[in-house]
Amino acid sequence: MSRPMDAARQEHTDVTDAAQPAAPGRAAAIRHFGSRYAVLGVWALLIVVYAIAKPGVFLTTSSFESIFNGQYALVFMAMALLCTIIVGEFVDLSVPAVFGFAATILPVLVVNHHWGVWPAAVVAVAGALACGVVNGLLVVVAGVNTIVVTLGMGTLLTGIALWMSNLNTIVLPPSGFSNIAIFPIGGLYVSFYYGAALALAFAYVLGFTPLGRHMRFVGASREVSRLSGVRVNRIRFGSFVAASALSGVGAVVTVAALGSYNATTSDSYLLPVFASVFLGTAVIQPGQFNPIGTWIGIYFLATGISGLEDLGLQTWVSDVFYGGVLVIAVTIATLLHRRSSSA
Amino acid sequence: MVAGVTIPRADGRGMTQHRLEVAHLSKTFGSARVLRDVHLSVPSGELHGLVGQNGCGKSTLVKILTGVYTPDPGGSIAVDGRRLRTPVPPADQREAGVSVVHQHLGLVDDRTVWENVRLGHYRARGPFRTINRRAEQEAVAEVLARLDRTVNVNQLAGTLSAEDRATIAIARAIQDHRPGGGLIIFDESTRALGKSARSRFFELVRSLIASGASVLLISHQLEEIVEATDRVTVLRDGEVVGAGLETRDVDEAALTRLMLGRHLVTHGRVDSHARDQVAASVRGLSAGQVTGLDLDVRCGEIVGLTGLMGSGFEDVAETVGGARRADRGELTVGGRKISLRGRRASTEEFIRAGVGYLPERRLAEGLAEQMSVAENLTLPRVRSRGRRLRTGRAWQAEETAAMIAKLDIKPPDPSAPVGTLSGGNQQKVVLGKWLAGQPSLLVLREPTQAVDVGARHDIINAIRETARAGCGVLIASIDAADLAVLCDRVLVFRDGTVTGELTGDLGQDDIIHATFGVPSDRSDQIPEEKR
Repeated sequence: MSRPMDAARQEHTDVTDAAQPAAPGRAAAIRHFGSRYAVLGVWALLIVVYAIAKPGVFLTTSSFESIFNGQYALVFMAMALLCTIIVGEFVDLSVPAVFGFAATILPVLVVNHHWGVWPAAVVAVAGALACGVVNGLLVVVAGVNTIVVTLGMGTLLTGIALWMSNLNTIVLPPSGFSNIAIFPIGGLYVSFYYGAALALAFAYVLGFTPLGRHMRFVGASREVSRLSGVRVNRIRFGSFVAASALSGVGAVVTVAALGSYNATTSDSYLLPVFASVFLGTAVIQPGQFNPIGTWIGIYFLATGISGLEDLGLQTWVSDVFYGGVLVIAVTIATLLHRRSSSA
Repeated sequence: MVAGVTIPRADGRGMTQHRLEVAHLSKTFGSARVLRDVHLSVPSGELHGLVGQNGCGKSTLVKILTGVYTPDPGGSIAVDGRRLRTPVPPADQREAGVSVVHQHLGLVDDRTVWENVRLGHYRARGPFRTINRRAEQEAVAEVLARLDRTVNVNQLAGTLSAEDRATIAIARAIQDHRPGGGLIIFDESTRALGKSARSRFFELVRSLIASGASVLLISHQLEEIVEATDRVTVLRDGEVVGAGLETRDVDEAALTRLMLGRHLVTHGRVDSHARDQVAASVRGLSAGQVTGLDLDVRCGEIVGLTGLMGSGFEDVAETVGGARRADRGELTVGGRKISLRGRRASTEEFIRAGVGYLPERRLAEGLAEQMSVAENLTLPRVRSRGRRLRTGRAWQAEETAAMIAKLDIKPPDPSAPVGTLSGGNQQKVVLGKWLAGQPSLLVLREPTQAVDVGARHDIINAIRETARAGCGVLIASIDAADLAVLCDRVLVFRDGTVTGELTGDLGQDDIIHATFGVPSDRSDQIPEEKR
């Protein structure tokens, strides 16, 4: 390229660059930090407020344990939902039903059909996996709308689970099986660490592996991905299967922890799962669905509800809190996305 | 001149009343001033051009005129002598008769003509506020009659020809205009038209101007501006550097110099880098209108594919690039044979064989806007160059830095979301995405589409360098200027058949003549057996 051309283009570029947003200064850095960690700040504020309001109730070991030991089911289901959302399948409504289906198979096989608990656990996970395969075939291969397929599949599976359990809570006989979920390590159940490891592993896959890069591109644009050599349908199909597998494994951990399962409770997970995943878009990577943000969102929500219950509010407060957070989180995510798009 | 298109010049000179008068208009975003003291005068009955590089402020100006942005204090906008409030309220804009036809015409394909034209103008009637379909259709027919065009108002917009689509977009724009009044802003609207439709489009524009309307034409096609407009205003870096220049007194080079601020180094042809070795060969390709095409591209050779829109040259590029399946055919590249019939769940097989495909629509097919420059550039190779459990950073940084330097991508920030780059720089990223893989065959569709002259310069140079390195290049384009400076030979398609093969020292006019069927002594008829 000739020098005059270079000079002319440089002149143009200088001005064009000037038209870009100003280089991140102190204020921009604070804004950036704030958008990433505001939820953590609110979380800390919640803890302070609850601690002042109910010092002898909230700031106790039992309160701490109930918050951090009780969210394993949500963590697995939220990560399952993320699998499909990341690849642009908006949204897999069947996650809680697949979870409930697997969580029902396990005790039904053990109690009603006298299976060993481990073979029953394997069948439960395989059953969940099969649901993912069906979802994937219908959505990816047959091209049916995701919401219709997963809503229908969710209702179908919940119905089958209710039929299998005859609407009863099925209780496992006492055994060492529960140790896979509630074995204590450092004061917390081992299932807490499963969730933490799952979130970290998922974040690693998305951030540092070719599979994760492909998943994010498929979520961003299927056609761009297809024309760049990404096997789009394989990734979409795989995300449905992975989501169901995670739901199945989460179900086994949950049944091991609770020692029982009641299929009528499956639907109650839907709102918390969505609220956590969307709240996660306001943490760490603003405007983006991300596993660590989701994981933090789950414990943020658990803290909020636990504190409100300690303040004497009834159980309805969880619906109000989850629903409210879902709406607020989606609004924040939309605003952050709009801001990042126009930056 | 625009390929084979005779653009009638509007005879609007000598009229002094200003339809649009913009004065002292500035716009600042944060610390960046993107428009500085802009003045623009468009008299009644004038076709006025507005040109400038990407990012010079053209779009900002249009958005101020249409009320999207609020200008800085101190500026004024007046239509027919009446000053408009700012930001311009939609009702005032409508009252003043200012309307815009956007780049993609803004039509809803699965709605009818009358629904598209009347969108936003429906008159609800009766106690149930219903739409009177018959009245709406009559209103549309009346507007079409003013344009002297006949289009079935009940036909779906998606089934219309390019010409009719443009007509509908114009009809929508002028429906509120008073006879003899109004200002229509065409914001890169001719991009959506094929060359043949463009001629009809300008006939329509001329008839509007003859009726007293004014037109502000924004276009990257300098030939079109010089050929069609009465006067032209040039923006550079947010400032007017050429105000209302008579186009009879300027040519494309002068306009380009004003846009760039320096003399443009014009592209001359360079010696061919074609070698004897074949880089890629296509056998028996049948796709769309094309049947049984055989084509060899040698290493270092740049082969152009052109013709009228829909003549089949696009089908060849899309199927050879792997974007869609052909009815029949086989591609051999890098020693691998690929069936062009196979299902195209992804282009992985083509990429492995060494094919790079630059699609026509960069934002829909080439780039994911919210992902970074580096992520977009390296996407086709994250599997082959990365390990299963770790993508690896070093090779990505190396590839990205090399492409940013080679193509002069601005800003040179690998982590910048691609959506924040200008159109020209986005196009460079799409090209770099494939160049970084050192392909054996590069298939390009409209590689300089909607980019400024500086970006075009960089893109042309990069393509030449790639060919010099031994890559075979196929360019499918309707841009005769690009083909003339880049190609060693050009295949001209008509109705799915290669009707001419131009070789040697190609000229833009030779390609245009061959495309539109005008006899030319440079258009060599090719042997029957090659067709």
